[in-house]
Amino acid sequence: MTMLASPPDSPAASTAQRDAEFAREALPWLDDVYRFALSLTRDEADADDVVQETFLRAYRSWHTFIPGTDCRRWLFTICRNVFLRSRERQRPTVDLEDGEQDALAAGSVYAAAREHGYDDLYARLDIGPALREAIDELAEPFRSAVLLVDVEDLSYDSAAEVMGVPIGTVRSRLFRGRRLLQEKLASLATEYGLTPASAEGTR
Amino acid sequence: MSAPQQGQLEALGLSATCADVVRHLWDYLDDQLTPEGAARLNAHMASCTTCRGYSDYQSCFLEAVAKLRAQLDAPESLRAKLAEGLKSEGCSCWGEVTKVKSNE
Repeated sequence: MTMLASPPDSPAASTAQRDAEFAREALPWLDDVYRFALSLTRDEADADDVVQETFLRAYRSWHTFIPGTDCRRWLFTICRNVFLRSRERQRPTVDLEDGEQDALAAGSVYAAAREHGYDDLYARLDIGPALREAIDELAEPFRSAVLLVDVEDLSYDSAAEVMGVPIGTVRSRLFRGRRLLQEKLASLATEYGLTPASAEGTR
Repeated sequence: MSAPQQGQLEALGLSATCADVVRHLWDYLDDQLTPEGAARLNAHMASCTTCRGYSDYQSCFLEAVAKLRAQLDAPESLRAKLAEGLKSEGCSCWGEVTKVKSNE
């Protein structure tokens, strides 16, 4: 810093410092933001546009980023806003208060799996590709909840901030998303003959 | 907290004690339970193979979802486009876009 040609308080020095901070804090999250954008848009070209807009906006409003806070969360928030604004569609308003019903339903899926001997499905097979496809097919806002918490490992708190909803809503959306994924995987297991067709009626 | 329907529990083939685990396992795995609640579930699972099996199953599922994070990166074409965008915004670090290593 002391070696800078411009005095530390000059506009040129502060711009250089800002740019360096942006490069250091924001750019390393490009892959994460891309993944999130791709899952939101389900389209590579759209995802490119959303990511581009997200980072340009982040750069323009870098002065609003609070140093020391979670930059990835900040970028996800911008990304989701860019995405929502890019769609004329109204914001989804499905708010399920009852995560318990989804937890119980997931238990039912497991009970059926155990009964038919494929309860070790997740441990036995590489379900990555099937999972990715199932997540892509999830409806919003459940997809965002699963992506943010389960894929990107955000806390409930952070996900709540990104989605602009209370923590309880994150929980219920997340539980619904997980339940739908597990039901989808169970029906795929049936399709691929991993389980007797008679297991089908237990969903 | 509303009690689950009796029919649902029967469908699961679980006792009322196990039903508590089914209801709160995700909260437990997400570290959202109070220490007392977590201890209660721990104590039950220590002696119940059915619930331990269910817990393993759900853990495996969540691990599989978490693994997806490592499987997809931003394409080079997007990096190049973003670099151009930042350059035209006057950002001096635009060249970093294609060099910066991603956070794990």
